[in-house]
Amino acid sequence: MFWLFIFTYLSVLIFLAVVIYKFIKIATAPVHLRWELYPVPHEKGKASYGGSILEEVDWWTKKREKDHLGELKVMVPEILLLKGVWEHNKELWLGSFPFHFALYLFIGNIALLVIGTLLEITGISPFVFKANSFWNSFWIIFRTVIDVLIWVGSILGILGSFRLLFTRIVNRNLSLYSTPSHYFNIIFIGAIYATALIWRLNDSDMVRNLMVYYFVIITFSKEIAVDLPLQIPAIGFVHIIISLLFIIYLPFTHMTHFFAKYFTYHSVRWEDTPNAPGSKIAERVGAQLNQTVTWAAPHIGADGNKNWIAIASAAPSKEAKR
Amino acid sequence: MKNIKIRDISSPVEQLAEIKLEELYPLPPPYDKIEEQPGFKNLSPEIRAKYEASLDGVMAVGLKKPESEEEEKKLIDAFISGLNKLFTKENNWTFLQPLTLSMEYCARCQTCNMDCPIYVGSGMKEIYRPTYRSEVLRRLYFKYVKKGSKIYKSFQNGGIELNWELIARLFELSYRCTLCRRCAQSCPIGVDNGLITHELRKMFSMEMGLSPKELHEKGTVQQLEVGSSTGMNALVVKDNMEFIDEDISERTGIKVESKWDVEGAEILLIHNSGEILTWPENPGAFALILDAAGIKWTLSSDLVGYDGVNYGLFYDDVQLARVAMKHLEIAKKLKVKKIVMGECGHESKAMGVIADRIFEGAVPRETAMTLMNDIVFSGKIKLNPERNWFPVTLHDPCNLTRSMGVIEPQRKVLRYIAPKFREMEPHGVRNYCCGGGSGFAVMSAYNFSDWRIQVASRMKFEQVLNAFADESPGPETPKYVCAPCSNCKGAFRDMFDFYGAKTKSGLYYAGLVELIVNAMVDVNEGFIDFDMM
Ligand code: SF4
Ligand code: SF4
Repeated sequence: MFWLFIFTYLSVLIFLAVVIYKFIKIATAPVHLRWELYPVPHEKGKASYGGSILEEVDWWTKKREKDHLGELKVMVPEILLLKGVWEHNKELWLGSFPFHFALYLFIGNIALLVIGTLLEITGISPFVFKANSFWNSFWIIFRTVIDVLIWVGSILGILGSFRLLFTRIVNRNLSLYSTPSHYFNIIFIGAIYATALIWRLNDSDMVRNLMVYYFVIITFSKEIAVDLPLQIPAIGFVHIIISLLFIIYLPFTHMTHFFAKYFTYHSVRWEDTPNAPGSKIAERVGAQLNQTVTWAAPHIGADGNKNWIAIASAAPSKEAKR
Repeated sequence: MKNIKIRDISSPVEQLAEIKLEELYPLPPPYDKIEEQPGFKNLSPEIRAKYEASLDGVMAVGLKKPESEEEEKKLIDAFISGLNKLFTKENNWTFLQPLTLSMEYCARCQTCNMDCPIYVGSGMKEIYRPTYRSEVLRRLYFKYVKKGSKIYKSFQNGGIELNWELIARLFELSYRCTLCRRCAQSCPIGVDNGLITHELRKMFSMEMGLSPKELHEKGTVQQLEVGSSTGMNALVVKDNMEFIDEDISERTGIKVESKWDVEGAEILLIHNSGEILTWPENPGAFALILDAAGIKWTLSSDLVGYDGVNYGLFYDDVQLARVAMKHLEIAKKLKVKKIVMGECGHESKAMGVIADRIFEGAVPRETAMTLMNDIVFSGKIKLNPERNWFPVTLHDPCNLTRSMGVIEPQRKVLRYIAPKFREMEPHGVRNYCCGGGSGFAVMSAYNFSDWRIQVASRMKFEQVLNAFADESPGPETPKYVCAPCSNCKGAFRDMFDFYGAKTKSGLYYAGLVELIVNAMVDVNEGFIDFDMM
């Protein structure tokens, strides 16, 4: 089953390539006009009530202090606990929170499995230590944590998927705005949780098998790759393949909000940098003002040559009667 | 039509939605009797034959129906062309990044819905849901702008049929949202339905030349040609200010004289010129306070320099930039230290933050709230808060609070000078829009004002009444709504007139500076005179 490993590399590569492409595309978009939305949590001493430095008389003479901890205080509960959904849409939260939190637990497991492999590479193999030694206890705890995350994550995830699917179907507010992909996505992710749980129920060596799978992937161990399939049960294969298919599919969907959210918050909602002369922003805006405008409404007065600044400096062209 | 769905926006039905008084969010007594409410004016069959009113039977913009199939096709082509330009960096660098993010990452979770005062006020009419118009635009974006397989795009984002009905309704629908951005605060992803409305309006204006007359012809175009969206030229405005100076001097016992075109002044004060015409006490009070504080200030009589209005903010980036650049040019010419924006939310936002990245080498700008807070607590003017003996509440203009974070200065002043000050709920950065935002306050064509007052202003009216619930409900106790924004005042004026709220509940509205002058010890008592309001 050598192909499984090739498929793994391919999935991860596609995922990374598309995500990085999208990330760069958003990050290199033109500087936009200011459109911040208060509360902006880095406003030191003012964020709690939504205030800003613009409350200060002669604010441009004052030192701007950004409270980065303030941003974290908002971001962490928002990402981990879906605080916004809890506050504004409790019905949805009941499904959305377990659904997302389970995903975080599974991602946590991926991180642990990678760390485990790295330790193995450095020679701290989980299979060679004597009973009662430090490393032996370490690996027992390590494997138990992964095991617990599988149990908790898959059960939470299944419950969340069912609840979310139910809400999307039954609640008219949501069903009206749901496209086929919304149901498909929940079922898809739900299948990852379900196959994980079934695998675990049928295989007390699941953690060990997973560790070997990660070891093979990271170390390119062809020999072990040939033996491994014999130890992974059929449901394990199904789980791995569904997960890999999902990794390929994810970057082509709106679910990339997992990183786009960084931009909606940091590049729009909280982006309040003033346009100081000589600054980077001033430089970039200056270049943008040189671009040719082609809007067709008569009052704009675009002729295919005039740039933004020429148009904004001119009086509105006399309009043809509408 | 019942159970409206997104695709229904292109349906050939004569009217998509109907608004019924009995379905609107209920108001507290004595405004709870449906039979006593004025309701909505019906449009005549002649008007309906000529103009598009197929969204909800309300007309904000009066879009003419196309007369031939070719004309209809031309309009559809123009729409598609505009849609594509909206997503190019050459034409729309100003908002491309936030717009694309809002288009591509909405989870359709509807978490934002109940934060929209229009949606809730309307009794949750589908077409007013913050996500309805966004979803229509989103589907069009994926269909006509984004590349990729048609089947996959429709699987991911749903389909939609583009026809004239859709365009006409979407255009009207872009004027059923006040761009207050309250919904954006609750979106966990950071999607902004207010921004989407803003961009829609821009596309209609900048590509198709379609916008409400009040904002365009009578708004920015008139302002750039004559000097002010009120139609006042420099002579008229000076005349009016002279009259205001005399009146204020007489009423307060303090000589007030407006300053014009003073080079090197500390402050260039730019009012929304609607104040000068409609609420003259406001610019008068400004003049009195600035003089009393010993500040060297000036007004400008240059074209556009005496009107801080910038309706471009609501519908057209080029018009926004044209007006903003005039303001900056004048400030530079007068070599003032800073510009102070008068009591006008959208002027403050346009000049203070939005146009910030259009200006090159800008003159610093600050809001009147900040300046007044500074003056009141500087000890330069003597105040007796007891003179403001009546209950006062504060309306937070969205543009000042949600979009600028100017929350506390005006409150600090009120807590000091108005002993019976109380907050509305919700307030500050979570306020409700007055219903006059995004230009609505000056839009009254056809039957639009019936809609705006009864739907867009509904939640505001309710919260004003609730803020004074502990006072005697009748007119015997005057109740002062401090609205430090010209457009918001316009909305309150229309709201209170419509419901007869002055007679029934003793509700009055005015700005912040009037309350300051009313409390000034050196001023004759009774500057705020409820009999005259
Ligand atoms: S705008 Fe935000 S809150 Fe509203 S449906 Fe989209 S993702 Fe959900
Ligand atoms: S911006 Fe305001 S009016 Fe518009 S949809 Fe959002 S909450 Fe409603």
